Amino acid sequence: MTTAVEEKLDLFKGNPEYAAKTKPALVKTGPAVYLAVDGQGSPDGDAFGEAIGALYGMAFTIKMTRKFAGLGDYAVSKLEALWPEMDGNPGADKTQWKWTVMIRTPDFVTAGDLTGAAGVLTKRGKGAGVSKVRLMRLNEGLCVQALHIGPYDEECKTIAAMKEFAAKSGMKFAGAHHEIYLSDPRRVEPARLKTILREPVKKG
Amino acid sequence: MKTVTLGDYKRRMLRVLVHIQQHLDEPLPLEELAGVACFSPYHFHRVFKGMVGEPVKEYVRRLRLERAAQRLKLSPASVIDIALDAGYESHEAFTRSFKSAFGMAPSQFRMARGVRFVRVPSGVHYCEPPSKRFRTLSRGGRMKVEIKTMKPMRVAFMRHTGPYDEVGKVWDRLLTVMGKDGYLGGNPMMLGICHDDPEVTPPAMIRYDACLAVDDGFVPSGEIGVQTVAGGEYAVTTHTGPYNQLGKTYAELLGQWLPRSGRELGNSPCFEVYVTDPGNTPAEELMTDIYAPLKEEEAVR
Repeated sequence: MTTAVEEKLDLFKGNPEYAAKTKPALVKTGPAVYLAVDGQGSPDGDAFGEAIGALYGMAFTIKMTRKFAGLGDYAVSKLEALWPEMDGNPGADKTQWKWTVMIRTPDFVTAGDLTGAAGVLTKRGKGAGVSKVRLMRLNEGLCVQALHIGPYDEECKTIAAMKEFAAKSGMKFAGAHHEIYLSDPRRVEPARLKTILREPVKKG
Repeated sequence: MKTVTLGDYKRRMLRVLVHIQQHLDEPLPLEELAGVACFSPYHFHRVFKGMVGEPVKEYVRRLRLERAAQRLKLSPASVIDIALDAGYESHEAFTRSFKSAFGMAPSQFRMARGVRFVRVPSGVHYCEPPSKRFRTLSRGGRMKVEIKTMKPMRVAFMRHTGPYDEVGKVWDRLLTVMGKDGYLGGNPMMLGICHDDPEVTPPAMIRYDACLAVDDGFVPSGEIGVQTVAGGEYAVTTHTGPYNQLGKTYAELLGQWLPRSGRELGNSPCFEVYVTDPGNTPAEELMTDIYAPLKEEEAVR
């Protein structure tokens, strides 16, 4: 299996916003559009799993529907998530964690595309959670970013280094903790998981 | 229960090696060689490459050349006669192959002293009588393999006939047509069935089915057909890296792991399951699960 030969839109590859190294760095991000699902519960729980399943189902159905209609092709981006409490003290009870899981999508995707895809998936019996998928615009502006390699439970070390870097640069965290998943946790051992951590910052 | 051992596999493969040397003047088609050793013709070339360390066609060619080399030394026959016996139609073609194998032209080789054959993994060279020993590679004996039991699986598929590295086109078409109808919801299995080995079959003739798991509701139409992937036990290993390196992992699984597993291959093709999205994964991080069908173990009597 190989990728198509013709050049297609790829929001991820070659985008400096996704070029994090293990050392924290400042990165200027632009406005971005996502397919997103809000929820609460442990990342190991059913709600989180259903939200990811619904997101991917929608992302591929929308992409293929547009492509079939001759509206152009694009790569489906990596999974991302916002964890609003994670940069502070998330608490030990994972069932209370709030999250927004999301997949970046080209800005020409419309609410109508979402409605159509949700309808097709539901008709196919694969509609679990698809009605919760919404279009979301995010403009995080200036961020501190670092590549975390290792288990999700050890992110606190990388976050601490990012906080220190922000302070040295005269900045402080000012937005939801953001993760971009480069590895599939079902297939990659925890020690080798790659995750970009992103924290919006402001002067202060 | 009778278990097939590494010794059994080696004995069977040795029959093939001896048969090859005794019939170097014949065409030696794959089906015939597989039959000599009771290997399934679906898998024989991969088992051979994995166990012996070189593709079977390459092996046959090398032995013909080595026999020619020996004749150059020991017989007064002319170079062109020796070339014809080795299966070459012209002096030039023979000289070219001979040079690449021995580093010198046949006429020079005839005069030279102390020349040796190039080392090969199996250690088998042309000699009379044929060698009764060969080295099997063993690296793959330690590869991580899981035995999975699969239910029969209904798949929608599109056939590609042509070079393996062009199967992306048929995937593109299949996923677009199926995707717009919602068949990509629920993370369905995507698998490729390669009916021919890219290392054996000429590129233009390779048959490959791009398959997407579907439920009973799917009705085939036009360019998209339906088939059932056989259920039963499969040996499964993961290949990490570019798709054009899959052949190595196939050979390791079938030629090195399998002979040490106590199992035999079933008579249906292998298939590969695409775990990662090539649209957003770097080639060196692509993951592909290789499924090799296993024959049912004989029941205890």
